[in-house]
Amino acid sequence: MAGHVAATSRAPSERPHAIKTPSNLSPRITWLRDYYFSGTARAWNNEFTSWTTGTPWDFQFNELTFYIVPETYTFFPTFRAAFRQTARRVDLDPHFWSWSLPERRAWFLRRVMTRSLPCEILPGDLIAGARFNVMTSTCLTSKEAAEFDRLVVGKAGTRQAVKWAHDHGYGNAGATSGHLIPDYPRVLKHGWRGITQEIEQALEALPAREKQGRRAAQLRGMLIAAGTARELAARYEAVCENLVAETKDPTRARELRQMARNLSLVPWGPSSTFWEAVQSLWLTHMLVMSDENYPGPGLSFGRIDQYLLPYWQRSLAQGMDRELGKEILKCFWIHCNTAYDAMIRTGAHQGITAGYGQLLSLSGRGPDGHDMTNDLTWAILEVIDEMSPILEPKPNVRLHRGSPDALLEKLVDMIASSQGSPFLLNFDERSEAGMLLEARLAGLEKQITPANVADYASVGCLENTMPGNDRSGTVDVNLNLLKAVELTLTGGYDLVPFADPMTGKTDAVTRRGSGTGDPTGFRTFEQFWAAYAAQNRFITKLLVDLYESSESVRARFSPTPYLSCLVRGCIEKGLDVTQGGAEIGFVTIEAVTFATTVDSLLAVKHLVYDRAACTMEELVAALKDNWVGHEKLQALAANKAPKYGRDDNEADAMARRVMELWTSETWRHTTRSTHRQFRPGMLSWNYWVSDGFVLAASPDGRPKGKFLSNALCPSNGADTNGPTANANSVGKVLAGEAEKDGVRFATENLLPNGGSHTISFNPTMARDPEHRAKLAAFLRGYARNGGSALQINMIDAEMLRDAQAHPESYRHLLVRVTGYNAYFTTVGKELQDEIIARESHALR
Amino acid sequence: MSSVEPDGESTGLILHVQRLSTEDGPGIRSTVFFKQCPLSCRWCHNPESISAQPQLQWYSTRCMGCHSCVGACPSGCISFGPQGFLLDRARCDGCGACVEECPTNALELLGRRVRVDALAEELAKDRAYFESSGGGVTLSGGEPLAQSGFAIALLQRLKEKGIATALDTCGFAATEGMGQALRSTDTLLFDLKIMDRVSHMAFTGQPNELILKNVLLARTLREAGETGARLWIRTPLIPGATATRENIVAIGAFIAEHLDGVLERWELCAFNNLCREQYRRLGMEWAYAETPLYDTSQLDEISGWARASGVDPSRVAVTGAARAAYSRTEETRRS
Repeated sequence: MAGHVAATSRAPSERPHAIKTPSNLSPRITWLRDYYFSGTARAWNNEFTSWTTGTPWDFQFNELTFYIVPETYTFFPTFRAAFRQTARRVDLDPHFWSWSLPERRAWFLRRVMTRSLPCEILPGDLIAGARFNVMTSTCLTSKEAAEFDRLVVGKAGTRQAVKWAHDHGYGNAGATSGHLIPDYPRVLKHGWRGITQEIEQALEALPAREKQGRRAAQLRGMLIAAGTARELAARYEAVCENLVAETKDPTRARELRQMARNLSLVPWGPSSTFWEAVQSLWLTHMLVMSDENYPGPGLSFGRIDQYLLPYWQRSLAQGMDRELGKEILKCFWIHCNTAYDAMIRTGAHQGITAGYGQLLSLSGRGPDGHDMTNDLTWAILEVIDEMSPILEPKPNVRLHRGSPDALLEKLVDMIASSQGSPFLLNFDERSEAGMLLEARLAGLEKQITPANVADYASVGCLENTMPGNDRSGTVDVNLNLLKAVELTLTGGYDLVPFADPMTGKTDAVTRRGSGTGDPTGFRTFEQFWAAYAAQNRFITKLLVDLYESSESVRARFSPTPYLSCLVRGCIEKGLDVTQGGAEIGFVTIEAVTFATTVDSLLAVKHLVYDRAACTMEELVAALKDNWVGHEKLQALAANKAPKYGRDDNEADAMARRVMELWTSETWRHTTRSTHRQFRPGMLSWNYWVSDGFVLAASPDGRPKGKFLSNALCPSNGADTNGPTANANSVGKVLAGEAEKDGVRFATENLLPNGGSHTISFNPTMARDPEHRAKLAAFLRGYARNGGSALQINMIDAEMLRDAQAHPESYRHLLVRVTGYNAYFTTVGKELQDEIIARESHALR
Repeated sequence: MSSVEPDGESTGLILHVQRLSTEDGPGIRSTVFFKQCPLSCRWCHNPESISAQPQLQWYSTRCMGCHSCVGACPSGCISFGPQGFLLDRARCDGCGACVEECPTNALELLGRRVRVDALAEELAKDRAYFESSGGGVTLSGGEPLAQSGFAIALLQRLKEKGIATALDTCGFAATEGMGQALRSTDTLLFDLKIMDRVSHMAFTGQPNELILKNVLLARTLREAGETGARLWIRTPLIPGATATRENIVAIGAFIAEHLDGVLERWELCAFNNLCREQYRRLGMEWAYAETPLYDTSQLDEISGWARASGVDPSRVAVTGAARAAYSRTEETRRS
């Protein structure tokens, strides 16, 4: 008799909203949470405000940071004009235009935040720091603005180049905000006063000939920026004191007096209590979003349960009620969510999208391998559980060989109760192996060592970085590997010429790819592979060059001196973080369409060379026709060719080969303007959906318009051997063959950035303690055999209904109802209805 | 493919391997479904496992009507009629040529011949999950001991690799083979279906003396220290057949009398009808096609009989269709 569990890979966005509800919230938090979710009905919000120097050439919106969001390309002129038109003028210092750009930017932001923006504290809130979404002036002189425009919107500018690359299916690239972990622990320990002193010392230490130079200008800008938080805290302190005078509630008055006292001490000085530390953290953090003019783009907290722990313990020892500590954290949670107010009147859900990612990391191991789960980890997990569903901050829980059973049990319970994972799971052994690889390959063995690599944490979605000194451009370059297969099939041409949907104009037929020749002449698959390798080299270089164009513009025109104060390396080098000031500064190429590419190569090999089911001419003709009229060949490609994701060693060897090829190409490149080494990762964000409409039909049987594969996941429906086989395949491409009979110890990882991997389970996998224990055991097995990060979805009735309507997409969906299993799409409608009813039932 | 290999220890005929199985013994398991079964239970949920021959199966929803199979068949036994695919089953020898040519996998061959060493290597791929969960490999079917040489060789090979094993058996097997298999088995999932001899004969096509003898053998071997196998008894709950008060009480009494102290768990597996389409695809009638599933109160009642039968009530578990609802009822009652 059979067991069963089914798995397919799916995007979290495809999952209907969880039905989980919050619990154990005080009246204060209930009010703040409800108020937040009342959206546009609120009297207060944190919508973007725009600010100008008042010059006729001034503008605020910097499109470079949106190059990785192709959906926004057509709106660039509108955004720029709208922020410009609504911008309020800031009275400038008389010397303003004599200063360097970093000084102008730092002064302007400080002025807006501390003089122009209103400061408010919501009823009951325990943390100050409300408005931070701003669009500040680029602070460019007329000459600088003209040069910027020439490089960006000019005929040969970055805007045209990035649009061309996207339209032709290569992917996208742009110098993007956020996606790093600022050195918050330093602020907690030494305050901004400590950072200020450091900058002053660095300025003094400059040799005389450099006192008027670029490094000095940068440091002076940072010095201005380093005073912002102190000045802003003083304003909020005054607000608290005013509110004390107004309130009739003695408890609230006590709270407000404490808040005022906190603000008088931090973030300028070091924190001593937990409340001070959270206050200091929040003000410091929100100003980064102000500095970058971007709400929470992967601006992440790192190991918050570790660096806040001393303050938590001290305050508990001094008598702080544990629930008050959690209450402070819950206020912090609400503040993080106000990032979404930026575009509150735009689009659906009052501007709430999944596009932000203030990630925090919990648990994980220490340098000697011991588990770091502590009382604050548990408190934060309780906060997440009690506040959910809520989007920010996004929790990432780190697991490893020594993770305690109790933690796994709690995680599985939370997963089970929310129809899927309320957090991302990160796996330490695999992740750290990747970080040590990048240290070796980039000569950073002093910065990333076996002794400190356990300090790593994730930013954005799942991208691994070091904390406090690392900006690795984790979403800046998104490369469609599949384009190389297309170019191989045509000898360097687009398979189908691009037709502009606005003008209807079709591209002239010119070769852009590598001249690998007519593929019909390839006698063996190895010849085909050699041509593919040449095209892979070509597409990588194309995106590297594309990135260079926006990286060099950002480095010249868009310093972020405030953020630079919080990234180790910038003070020492006197370089802005946008100019490569960070001690560790990779640019990550995120490969998209991995499994589609692997499966396409496997299909070419199978159909043309091994099985001889068709000739190369016939295959290319079928793809040009988008498979129409070639249905039998398409079915052979989809069903008979081997696929990645089934733990089939031969197919997975092709996957490994593709992985080794593209990652080694990536390591060949460094940015010219900022000397940042490129490194590989696999994320895919939502490109795997949208670029499915851009990229031509592929040899794996996929027609144009159908989704591509997501990140490291097998193609949708390809993982016919279930989650363990799926995970083993992923482990194989990252870490190679098993070292010992079926166990792939996590000592290797080709993707230092990490790779996104999603597995869906039937909810019955978590239906009782016995099955939840098996799910926890699966996670332990995954830590040994799988990838660096995992997201779990529970297949729910909604998905089964979708499978009923679209059986072709769910052929391999197994349903388990008792000790037997069946393919859902092969049982009759009425039985399907019964199963759907049961599955819905099983969740409650 | 139709002839059994002379060396039964090296190859065997299996249906498929189910990985991350959570229902066939402790922990995370990979379950190997064997072809062939000596019983012919009227309710059989895996009709494809009974025959000792590979069988061809056609999925109408997948078929694109290209008729590649017609030309591929060397014996010309495939044609298409108004209802679609037609197979002359008497002449089909299961060579699989049509399956190979079918572009949509509308044709599947149930049953493939595998070598012990290759199969064991495949199964070892999930060792990490077996070890993390206290799981392993389960031999199920069909009846694994119908190919006892192959089954025993597989169990031994897995034990050599340090992988825990379970044997899911109907119990109708030569005692010698059963004994040998048990020496390499860590968990025995033993079916006790019907205690009444005549009724057993009527519903399964075989008497039950051998089955009862074998379950006693398991106890004897345990007591002699020749096997460490944990014992789970499994009883499928089939309306009007096994799930009568008289039968459940009789099984319970037998367990209480003979297996006390050895039994770890008695699983009552609720009837389900997911194999209905499977019968249709194989061109077979199924007597239970219209039988409804149990509701929770019925399962409640049946498990009540089991708990009161003399067996330690904490050993009784219900699995299957209404289980989620059932457990909730239980939780509510306890609280």
